[in-house]
Amino acid sequence: MAEQQTAPGHRTVQPVDPARRTEIDKQRVPMSARPYRLLALVKQDAVVRVQKEPDDTVMTWPHLLAIEFLAAVLVSVFILLMGLFVNAPLEDLANPNVTPEVAKAPWYFLGLQELLAYFHPTVAGALTPIFVLVGAALIPYVDRGNLLATRPSDRKTAVLLFTLFCGLGLVLTFIGIFFRGPGYAFALPWVTGMHFSL
Amino acid sequence: MSFLERVDQGIRQSAVWRSLFRNPYPNDERSRAYAVMNNVFLHLHPVRVRQHAVKFAYTFCLGGLSFFLFLVLTVTGVYLMFFYAPSANMAYTNILQIQTEVPFGLLTRNVHRWAAHLMVFFVFLHMMRVFYHGAYKPPREFNWVVGVVLLFLTIMLSFTGYLLPWDQIAYWAITIGTNMAGYAPLFNTPSKFILLGGLEVGQNTLLRFYVLHIMVFPLLAAIFLAVHFWRIRKDGGISGPL
Repeated sequence: MAEQQTAPGHRTVQPVDPARRTEIDKQRVPMSARPYRLLALVKQDAVVRVQKEPDDTVMTWPHLLAIEFLAAVLVSVFILLMGLFVNAPLEDLANPNVTPEVAKAPWYFLGLQELLAYFHPTVAGALTPIFVLVGAALIPYVDRGNLLATRPSDRKTAVLLFTLFCGLGLVLTFIGIFFRGPGYAFALPWVTGMHFSL
Repeated sequence: MSFLERVDQGIRQSAVWRSLFRNPYPNDERSRAYAVMNNVFLHLHPVRVRQHAVKFAYTFCLGGLSFFLFLVLTVTGVYLMFFYAPSANMAYTNILQIQTEVPFGLLTRNVHRWAAHLMVFFVFLHMMRVFYHGAYKPPREFNWVVGVVLLFLTIMLSFTGYLLPWDQIAYWAITIGTNMAGYAPLFNTPSKFILLGGLEVGQNTLLRFYVLHIMVFPLLAAIFLAVHFWRIRKDGGISGPL
């Protein structure tokens, strides 16, 4: 400690031991001997800082929260209007003895049901969904070509394969929804009407 | 000062209000940071987000809206649970009662149904969006896997709920769906039997699907959702711009 208490509440600064003088101490000059005066302090931020990266962020409140709120409100209005004007389907009481004319799985399984029309059930009903789910989960571990490429134009193979796969699923589902009638036989919706309920 | 302003001030300066909201309405950058950081629901988000991430056309809000629909489905689903018994004798009658006697019952059931379909649809679209942005690439590989699990859980939530009205659509859709599971190699008989609780769709199936629908899958989904959101932050926020 370079400081020593002389009287309560009053402190004097002891001269620095010459043997321990640092570079700063050597430059220390009595105030009266300075040829200049302190006119102003300039904060660091006021000077152009070259190394500072441009800030590409915005505040979550309000920029992100406003969009999220608006999106939630729009979807709420949509499902409320749907709920008000379109009733959820309800048919007769379940009866194991009466097979309905048209029996379809929920729409997200209709692609699989469509496959059932062409392939053995083990392939269509069991192996395909397992392959799809496991395959989807493995995508990041299979697609190791260019790990930095995110633009679709820089990874055409991956995008093409994925798009083909999604398109295939979409087409199968559409056939299942619109073009299958009684007994799951082909039917044209503009001739026999729709055989589908959500 | 008008009467309304005095009431407003009185409320804002009351001990109750100030204990509820520790900071005044956020108007500057510092208080806005605190508003996000100090709120249990908002602190899911970082205080600042990258500019491209708040553009609607980047995410189309699909992930957030899927989660929002999950919340809507939880609320409407809990309301419906008050009036529904998973019994082959009672279920269909209960649905009819919900539609005719329960206050807002028809609307709640409709909203539950449409929100459920929309959620499956949005989760699909969210997955496609993430793929086309290459957002599954390192360091986000595992979060993609969590997302695939969430897609599976979403579909299973929808599928198990499909049976609950116990009408002809429900019964035969589930019969077809579970028949497919019956063709799984090696596990064919056990997997179908475990799903149905019998050889065909019946009372046991209804109870199983009900428990899965209202308890098991929502809990699992909530856990995976928590991991999913947590990892977005830990993997460096939303993926970069294209």
